[in-house]
Amino acid sequence: MTAIAAATAASTLAACGGSDDGGGDGGGGGGGDASANEASDIGITEDSIKLGAHFPLTGVAAPGYSEIPTGADAYFDCLNEAGGVNGRTIDYIYRDDAYNPTTTSQVVNQLVLEDEVFAIVGGLGTPTHSAVLDFLNSEGVPDLFVSSGSLLWGADPETNPYTFGWQTDYESEGKIIGEYIAENFPDAKVGLFLQDDDFGEDGEAGIRQYIDDQIVAAERYTPGNTNVGPQIAALQAAGADFVVGFNVPSYTALSQLTALQLGYDPQWFYSNVGSDPTLVGNLLNNFSQGTVSDASLLDGALTTDYLPTVDEPDNPWVQEFQRIWDECGGDGELTNYRIYGMAQAYTTVQALQAAGQNPTRDDLIEAIEIAGGDWEGPVLAPFRYSEESHMGTAGMSISRITGDTTEQVEPVQLTDIGDAPIEDFDGEPAEVPENGIPNEESVMD
Amino acid sequence: MQYFVNVTLTGLTEGMVYSAFALALVLIWRSTRIVNFAQGSMAAATTFIALALIQAGQSYWVALIVALLSGLLLGAIIERVVIRPVEGGPELNAVIVTLGLFVAIQAAIAIVFGSAFQSFPTPFGLEGFQVGDNRIALTPNSVWVIAAVLVTMALLVVLFRFTRIGLAMRASAFGQEVARLLGVRVGRMLTLGWALAAVVGSLAGLLIAGGEFVYPAYMDSLIVFGFVAAVLGGLDSPIGAIVGGLILGLALSYVSGYVERGSALVNVAALVILMVVLLVRPGGLFASSTARRA
Repeated sequence: MTAIAAATAASTLAACGGSDDGGGDGGGGGGGDASANEASDIGITEDSIKLGAHFPLTGVAAPGYSEIPTGADAYFDCLNEAGGVNGRTIDYIYRDDAYNPTTTSQVVNQLVLEDEVFAIVGGLGTPTHSAVLDFLNSEGVPDLFVSSGSLLWGADPETNPYTFGWQTDYESEGKIIGEYIAENFPDAKVGLFLQDDDFGEDGEAGIRQYIDDQIVAAERYTPGNTNVGPQIAALQAAGADFVVGFNVPSYTALSQLTALQLGYDPQWFYSNVGSDPTLVGNLLNNFSQGTVSDASLLDGALTTDYLPTVDEPDNPWVQEFQRIWDECGGDGELTNYRIYGMAQAYTTVQALQAAGQNPTRDDLIEAIEIAGGDWEGPVLAPFRYSEESHMGTAGMSISRITGDTTEQVEPVQLTDIGDAPIEDFDGEPAEVPENGIPNEESVMD
Repeated sequence: MQYFVNVTLTGLTEGMVYSAFALALVLIWRSTRIVNFAQGSMAAATTFIALALIQAGQSYWVALIVALLSGLLLGAIIERVVIRPVEGGPELNAVIVTLGLFVAIQAAIAIVFGSAFQSFPTPFGLEGFQVGDNRIALTPNSVWVIAAVLVTMALLVVLFRFTRIGLAMRASAFGQEVARLLGVRVGRMLTLGWALAAVVGSLAGLLIAGGEFVYPAYMDSLIVFGFVAAVLGGLDSPIGAIVGGLILGLALSYVSGYVERGSALVNVAALVILMVVLLVRPGGLFASSTARRA
């Protein structure tokens, strides 16, 4: 408990400290004029906008995910140095919830009632964010771009008008994976390794739409129970030669270790969430000293992408994010998680620009519904934002992990939840704007 | 059939890990009559010391020895500094103090070593043995765990049953006044009991960590299972701790492997097993005669 409290204090200090530098002068971003600024709503002053977030900085879910807010923080710092949004700097506060829903309620209460943030941005996790969904919507606090692919955030905007998803939802991801297997591995006997919650259920529902008859086993693990021996042994016993995992990164490592132990060597396909090769490699790192000869256990595994990744150094977005991390980031390397945080911060700035010079909380929501579907950026496929849908991006590409890099095996596919068809995405990748700062027109003034 | 074998072997290995931890609890109970909730955090602390050494380039065995020695020291210091002042009061006081220690030590680990997930190396392989055409879920590392736990148990049995010092420790735990009258240096015996228990706990922590991931709270779920195993066995008997751990490990592995969505039911199953055993044998499976209980 004490550890959690200490970590919270430290990260908050870091977040506040980071946002103090950078002047509020000059009308960067949307090209507004700072002199026309008013304190238009809670969390907005003439020269600042306060945003809040909750992330697991400690505990089971911390590896990888704790890096997301550091990426966003670096992006906002660079943005502030370049003049902010409409002459306002972003004051970004993120707090540790240790992936514990009770703690999430506590820290979000604190963000909304004590820190008085304008909006919550990128709160991470299905079980955790579910705990604050009602609270944020009843308080009328914009709840933007939840870091989770659950359908909860965007499928029902009537019930949750203030909440928006961001990343590809797990059901659409399952559908794209299912179609790929049906076309490329029609004879595979498929086993599913699923987290026993919405994450696994949504993914399973999507994948079964395409290859229900190919699935020979579906095994579920409970987060926290680190013994997955019986589950992996069951997949092996069912004769699965192709395993699709809807699991978090630490369980990718555990499933690989257990498979090694059992001499089980199917074709692995990890959904986007659990597949970061660098993180899984780091987790398995110490084992490789002597016992596991090859650290790249994930070699040959398939995965999905909806963002450019660090192993594409030629991608202009990755180059721009690298520059931002070098100039405004903290310790450590640019990672896929930090890219995720920066890309989310980019969308946030698009939303703030579209909401106009002196936005209210409701203006922000309306602006995303009006303009969000047309935004381009680092995300590979467009968002589905409209009055009817608050779902995030809808597309994914599929790639194969080879050593430290990935190689695309299927270009971006586009779909939606339910029985929407899967189509090739024919759009071009977006160009990087100057300084990596978007330039959206206001749709509200 | 291969599936059954693999689920069984997974259960046996997990069970041995619970046993290792239960042994440490039994040891401290036998020598001081205190249930030590801080045992898990203490073991985690020494495990992190070992990990730091390994990462600095030392061999696993050097790290193991240093971890055991620091366990010995840690146990003795905690008994002298933290437990001794509350020892004369109501029994519950000491137990509550160990709960406080549990949280405090975990926080200290997070401050010193950070709270990141890290893998912990093993001295032996993690690939299962080949039997015929199949590889089974028994690895060189599980053999090392099983052997280490059995040897520790044998040493404890010998200590308590056949040595004067073991007798003196038991006497100090049962009746301090009488033992003192008979010339046993009770204070030293209590310190020794804590120190030895911490050594066994450290060993358990290292065995559990090998081939798994460690972070400051990694012992949390094992503390619960370790307690269940110890109580199953009767809290008083090293052999009971081993049997209790094995029963629990096997049962939980079968629940996880054969019950629909079993992975989620593992914690509930542990409680049910504990309830059933305590209803049938209130003192645990290997309880010594009830007349001896204070």
